[in-house]
Order: sequence, then structure tokens, then C-alpha cells
Amino acid sequence: MDKKKLSFLSIFVFLAINVVSLVQVIEGYYGREYGHVYTFMFVSLLSTALATAAFFIWRKEEYKK
Amino acid sequence: MTDDKKNKNHQSDDQDMMKLVDNLNRKEDVNLNRRAFLKATFGTTVALGLATTPFGVLSVMRDGHNDGERVEIAEADELAVGESKNFVYPKEGDTAILVRTKDDKYVAYNNKCTHLQCPVFYEHKEDILLCPCHKGYFDVNNGHPVAGPPQRELPKILVEVQGGKVYAVGREYRHG
Ligand code: FES
Repeated sequence: MDKKKLSFLSIFVFLAINVVSLVQVIEGYYGREYGHVYTFMFVSLLSTALATAAFFIWRKEEYKK
Repeated sequence: MTDDKKNKNHQSDDQDMMKLVDNLNRKEDVNLNRRAFLKATFGTTVALGLATTPFGVLSVMRDGHNDGERVEIAEADELAVGESKNFVYPKEGDTAILVRTKDDKYVAYNNKCTHLQCPVFYEHKEDILLCPCHKGYFDVNNGHPVAGPPQRELPKILVEVQGGKVYAVGREYRHG
């Protein structure tokens, strides 16, 4: 698979990760399990950062001509 | 002259037609839509990711205020086996119930039902915690729901018996 397609698809994976982590963070927050909150917040921010990287890679490939 | 005019008209008609045909050329369209779609997806991903941070910040703020205060809640001989008593912990308004169970252990829970917050009572005949509002039952030994609408366990208050007194020493929201 080429770079463009890979980064394109990975953004959907990161979206799914973020949905799941947000749910976990909210659950953890209301269950007062703060360790849980921190873990999933970290996961979510990491996946956001990776998604941003993927997005820029995709954009570079998509618009280069 | 009129013919000429007609022709001209026709010409522009043709051009319009060409434009319409152009519009039917969807390849470009599909590409552009895909771009917009990915951008929207990416935006959602970032928004959801950032939405976790307020919870993190609030958690840090609340993390310090632990419920770890040690508070005397009863005399050890105040309750007979199978009896219960209400108290508040950790704050005024956090009503709780202390039960001396049949096997002579002290257990305590915040007694707001996890369904719709009705007060939960100890039913000593059946040795169970009962919420009368919608017949929710909780296991007296661990606070987990056993029947009825409640889905979550009651917050558990950690108790310690020392020198003839019962102390509340902490609280666990999720347990067991
Ligand atoms: S409020 Fe307790 S069962 Fe509904």
C-alpha cells in the first residue's frame, strides 16, 4: 500500500481510538479512577498527534503535482 | 441577420450544454469530496482527542482531595449483629450506611442508590441492601447490585475497628 492510502486509512483508525478513549476517560472520571483517566488521556493525545502527522503526510501526497 | 442571431444563440446553447456535460464528469468531484471527507474526519479526531484534556485537568484537581479522612462513625458495641446505622461520609450530604453483618463484620457504603439516588436500607431478615424505590437489591458484603435496575455498585466506605470504635478511613468508588 502506498504512503497516501496508508495515511488516509490510519486517520480512521485514530478516530476509532479517540472515540474509545474518550468514553474510557469519561467513565474513569465519573468512577473517580483518575489513573484510568490519565492513561486514556495519554492514549488519546498520542493518537491525535499521530493522526496529525498522518494528515500532513496525506496532504503532501494528495496535493503534490 | 436573423439567421445569424439564431446561430449565435445556438452556439451559446451548445456551450451551456458543454458545461453541463462537464459537470457530469464526476472524477474531479469524487476526488474533492474525498478530500473534504478526510478533512472532516481528521477534524473530528482532533476534537475528540482534545476533549479528553478537560477531564484530565479536572482529575488532577480532584485527585488531591482524597476521601482519606479518618472519622469516627460509631461505637463498636452500639450495633448488634444484623443492625445498621446511618451516618455521613466524607462530607455532609454524602449519606452512608454502616452495617454489622450476620457474620459480625462491619461494612459501610454510601447509601444513595446507583439507579436514581433513593436511600438504600439494610434488610436484616434477608441480609441484603434494598432500595425501595424500584426494588433494587445490593449484596451487603460487597455493595454490588444483585437485582433490579441498579447497574453499578455502591461506593464502598472502608472501615476500621479500633479501641471499641468504628472509623471510616476512605472510600472506593469502583471495587471488587
Ligand atoms: S432508585 Fe434505587 S432502584 Fe431505582
